[in-house]
Amino acid sequence: MATMTNEKTEALIQEVLEVYPEKAKQDRVKHLMVNDQDPDKSKKCMTSNRKSLPGVMTVRGCAYAGSKGVVWGPVKDMIHISHGPVGCGQYSRAGRRNYYIGMTGVNAFGTINFTSDFQEKDIVFGGDKKLDKLIDEVHGLFPLMKGSTVQSECPVGLIGDDISAVAKKKAKEYGKVVVPVRCEGFRGVSQSLGHHIANDAIRDWVLGARDDDDSFESTPYDVAITGDYNIGGDAWSSRTLLEEMGLRVVAQWSGDGTLSEMELTPKVKLNLLHCYRSMNYISRHMEEKYGIPWLEYNFFGPTKIAESLRKIASFFDDKIKQGAERVIEKYQAEYEAVIAKYRPRLEGKKVMLYVGGLRPRHVIGAYEDLGMEVVGTGYEFGHNDDYERTTQDMGKATLIYDDVTGYEFEEFVKKIKPDLIGSGIKEKYIFQKMGIPFRQMHSWDYSGPYHGYDGFAIFARDMDMTLNNPCWNKIVAPWKKGVEEDEAIAENA
Amino acid sequence: MALRQCAIYGKGGIGKSTTTQNLVAAMAEAGQKIMIVGCDPKADSTRLILHAKAQNTIMEMAADAGSVEDLELEDVLKTGYADIQCVESGGPEPGVGCAGRGVITAINFLEEEGAYDEGIDFVFYDVLGDVVCGGFAMPIRENKAQEIYIVVSGEMMAMYAANNIAKGIVKYANSGSVRLAGLICNSRNTDREDDLIIALAEKLGTQMIHFIPRDNVVQRAEIRRMTVIEYDPKASQADEYRVLAKKIVENKKFVIPTPITMDELEDLLMEFGILDEEDESIIGKTAEAC
Amino acid sequence: MSQHVDNIKPCYPLFRDDDYRKSLENKRVTVEESHSDQKIKETFEWTTSSEYQELNFQRTALTINPAKACQPLGSVLCALGFEKTLPYVHGSQGCVAYFRSYFNRHFKEPVACVSDSMTEDAAVFGGQKNMYDGLKNAKALYKPKMIAVSTTCMAEVIGDDLNAFIGNAKKEGHIEEDFPVPFAHTPSFVGSHTTGWDNMFEGTLRYFTINKMEDKEVGKNGKINLVPGFETYLGNYRVMHRMMKEMGVDYSILNDPSEVLDTPADGKYRMYSGGTTIEELEDAPNAIDTLLLQPWQLIKTRKYVKGTMKQPASNIAIPMGLEGTDEFLMKVSELTGKPISGSLEKERGRLLDMMTDSHAWLHGKRFALYGDADYVMGMTKFLLELGAEPTDVLCNHANKRWKKAMEAMLGESDYGKNTIVHTSKDLWHMRSLVFTNKPDFLIGNSYGKFIQRDTLAKGKEFEVPLIRIGFPIFDRHHLHRMTTLGYEGAMYILTTLVNSVLERLDDETREMGVTDYSYDLIR
Repeated sequence: MATMTNEKTEALIQEVLEVYPEKAKQDRVKHLMVNDQDPDKSKKCMTSNRKSLPGVMTVRGCAYAGSKGVVWGPVKDMIHISHGPVGCGQYSRAGRRNYYIGMTGVNAFGTINFTSDFQEKDIVFGGDKKLDKLIDEVHGLFPLMKGSTVQSECPVGLIGDDISAVAKKKAKEYGKVVVPVRCEGFRGVSQSLGHHIANDAIRDWVLGARDDDDSFESTPYDVAITGDYNIGGDAWSSRTLLEEMGLRVVAQWSGDGTLSEMELTPKVKLNLLHCYRSMNYISRHMEEKYGIPWLEYNFFGPTKIAESLRKIASFFDDKIKQGAERVIEKYQAEYEAVIAKYRPRLEGKKVMLYVGGLRPRHVIGAYEDLGMEVVGTGYEFGHNDDYERTTQDMGKATLIYDDVTGYEFEEFVKKIKPDLIGSGIKEKYIFQKMGIPFRQMHSWDYSGPYHGYDGFAIFARDMDMTLNNPCWNKIVAPWKKGVEEDEAIAENA
Repeated sequence: MALRQCAIYGKGGIGKSTTTQNLVAAMAEAGQKIMIVGCDPKADSTRLILHAKAQNTIMEMAADAGSVEDLELEDVLKTGYADIQCVESGGPEPGVGCAGRGVITAINFLEEEGAYDEGIDFVFYDVLGDVVCGGFAMPIRENKAQEIYIVVSGEMMAMYAANNIAKGIVKYANSGSVRLAGLICNSRNTDREDDLIIALAEKLGTQMIHFIPRDNVVQRAEIRRMTVIEYDPKASQADEYRVLAKKIVENKKFVIPTPITMDELEDLLMEFGILDEEDESIIGKTAEAC
Repeated sequence: MSQHVDNIKPCYPLFRDDDYRKSLENKRVTVEESHSDQKIKETFEWTTSSEYQELNFQRTALTINPAKACQPLGSVLCALGFEKTLPYVHGSQGCVAYFRSYFNRHFKEPVACVSDSMTEDAAVFGGQKNMYDGLKNAKALYKPKMIAVSTTCMAEVIGDDLNAFIGNAKKEGHIEEDFPVPFAHTPSFVGSHTTGWDNMFEGTLRYFTINKMEDKEVGKNGKINLVPGFETYLGNYRVMHRMMKEMGVDYSILNDPSEVLDTPADGKYRMYSGGTTIEELEDAPNAIDTLLLQPWQLIKTRKYVKGTMKQPASNIAIPMGLEGTDEFLMKVSELTGKPISGSLEKERGRLLDMMTDSHAWLHGKRFALYGDADYVMGMTKFLLELGAEPTDVLCNHANKRWKKAMEAMLGESDYGKNTIVHTSKDLWHMRSLVFTNKPDFLIGNSYGKFIQRDTLAKGKEFEVPLIRIGFPIFDRHHLHRMTTLGYEGAMYILTTLVNSVLERLDDETREMGVTDYSYDLIR
């Protein structure tokens, strides 16, 4: 890859936008920028959290995906009803690897798809009666579930069903919470509004449940992990570190989470926020209502982990501060051995990322621990505050893209020629066919965990196995080798 | 003769259903084979032909059976006065569900089942109120109704609605074969009503196809759940519907309408003395202030 | 915990380490407020009972683990089967993200598809503007030869009219008048993914033929048209090509995504590859006949073929298994006058040879089965041909006529007397059936793995292993490249079934000093 300068990167953006119709070009140019660490220069450049253009092949999802798929879905002892036609629940079933332990179908329900499977008659006559009946059936067949949520799909909002009224009635009838979530897919511009709607639903229907109940014995060291969905067990390899430094993890939001944990969270001393994008809302609310401070941390890679452990410890007494140091020291040999083995194999490799949530910035440190460089990054559904938090982590003249289109991403990759791409399933096979090593950075490509020291070892192993697998050298048939290179040279000339 | 599909639109309460049923009764009397498709969840578009409110609407039957696929045509198609075929889309009570979708479902069902295949000369869609959502525009989609008649009177809101419906037609007319075929004036006995509607029709690029005077015999017939044609075939009002029927059978004036702006409509109303000149000095003043 | 650099452990087996288990147990006991082990165990046992099954089958409102997806998923697959065609879904964008990732996970291939990203304002004002911009942008960026439009339920509820919108987009110059934009309304609250495939196919065929019927004449081009339906086994497209070629039959497969869903990794990404051409579609009415390979799902297509194209749309069943393939080939032969080739006859003989070899392991084995209507019918038929006994066969989206046809077919076989056919039922119903009727195996898609796990939870002797044939298959690699149709497909199915039986037997007899018998080298 050629060294990029501000001018070169800017020219690249202009070149890629050439093909767009004028109106679309005017819009897209605001979502692409050259990074400059000077905050005054960079943050004003980026436009984000706007409607995707029709027809450009965005990879974004919808509010339902943000609520059912991300925030609520992992709460394992509740039943999440995909309310509407059959597709949404089917496509989002068990596809996120948010791990949990439980007897599925008895006291845990994470990988089951509950749906009202709307038919034409439900659209025409309304679905409230069906919902009412459906909740009866849920209670009859799953007596150990702790509560349920109604995740609205598009039609529910369009036909004007009153799911809140049904929810209230049924909650009263059974004495178990029923949370109506108005996360219809057409609301907002991406998953992001779904996170917000889901957070608000937790605030309004769950959070205050134990306000007058002091029976839970709290300790001065109680914390909650928020914004960790336990992908591949991420939250587990995080909670053990916190426990080792002397803290007690009262709740996991929401990976391997439970209704009780959410209800108990107002009793904690500190909220630890990993995915800022999807759970800053509820963290801010708890700060306001219960005076619980929150802090963003980053458990990707030893540098950021150590930084985060110390930052967390700074909220507590010396016992915890010493605990943090003890943990860092304990794992030092482990992560140094990992770096010693893998850094030489990965040093200097260029990475392009395009993910959601926190990862477009949070994983940069982990790559840097391995001597790799992130040369392009972007958010599917980020807001301005995400981009503000990113510019400092990225190098000068690197490329930042918001809601990148299929076309743009492919063109950027062709020009920048990274050694590795980290993005999602929809991008994976495109780039693999182009001969570029690729890791899914939503699902950890069926691996993980990547959080914590244990996770970092897996992360390093995975990046190495993918970058250095022998298959990439064989992409061009041996009898084609000379020919292709000549063509490539001719093309670049 | 090729099947002609007509849709009747108009402001709610204008007398659409009554006019439609009297009209088709007159047409049927003259030997035409007619079907009425009621596109209104109230399901009262065929009451005067069947002498009863339709019990078996498509959507209600479908809800009972499970889905529309489980329905048979004969379950929902009823025969009334002069062999007029009657069917109602049906739909929810006000305030729940999506009545517009019911219209889409019902019309798709009729087409799939070949309801129009058997020797029908005219299909009339009687459509709820104004065009309220895409579902209610279903009858004017491509390959459905080609002729739109708007029932109107000399009242401001009726004319306003007519103009809006014309706007809706333009949307579909540009890409398809749907055309505005005329305004039917259902008189409310307002001043210079016929001239006013003729003037409006001209502005919309269409015609006032017929002026139906007000006559209490219509109400008398309606109390008996009958059309005038059936109840009192000798009444002069019955002849009015016969004239309208004849005009529609012979109608050739199908246009892409030219809807007018609010200002133009207001000018027209002022010209006919229905609307007063705006007094800007009173705008925003409360009763007390005046 | 802590990793060793020479043995880095991912989730499994990492979380089996003692400290993780202790941490999670601590979590369970201190903050989860979980039910007692006793209560959980009791409740689990109850969910496996016939009493629970009865309650389970009383459901009228709740669907749990459906065995179907929604219409536009099918329309997208259909669009991919035409040459240089970009699938375009009018409505909410999240749906398209779901369709793409669903296919990505099954095929392990890229899937190009755009949405026109309708949001709250479009819900109120209709999506015409989105259509204008969407068609224009999609064409400029992805340079397709055709854009095939279908709809999400959002656009359907508000009643958007594709014909008018696309017409207006052309009239207003957002896309050229002569640029092909076939379309289909695909409401997800009607039918299933197979309905969506049928609608999109019919819409496309109609688009290219309805106004050009004057010079068409049935039989003029001497071809046989084949319509695959919602077909996810790439080998099934290929076996059709091969069989037609071997018979010397001139043919068109009117929808074929087997190239675009199987492009090479050679340094280049191909958004488009292969597929049925517009010319072939236009020429379709000139064929001798159009055969529907999955007739139960191609309702609208059949109507168009018969009504507008005036072809017989000869009745065939899905060409799966021995007799299904026999009948299909005989029909093709009858329609074209070409004899069934020697090569196919030999292939049939080889299938029969395999059936004789393996019958002892399959005869009387009991299988539960679920999936799409035509597949389930074809597979049931083949099981009967093998002397196997279907216990419960379930199709979530099939209608009553299908059920009757199934029951008639089962009634004709000695092996189908005890089979129960279920429609409008889901995989949570199937879970109950598998517990109470205890088949030897369950045949279905990847979702069946959860049923296998549930049965194992009751005890090893209750475990019903899953045999993966169907769609989607997310948790095994490359099975979508296999073939399930024709004699070749029957060979694949037979091989899969018999080896599942033998593997299971090994699994049950591997205990040294206990089952030293039946763990045989020779079988």
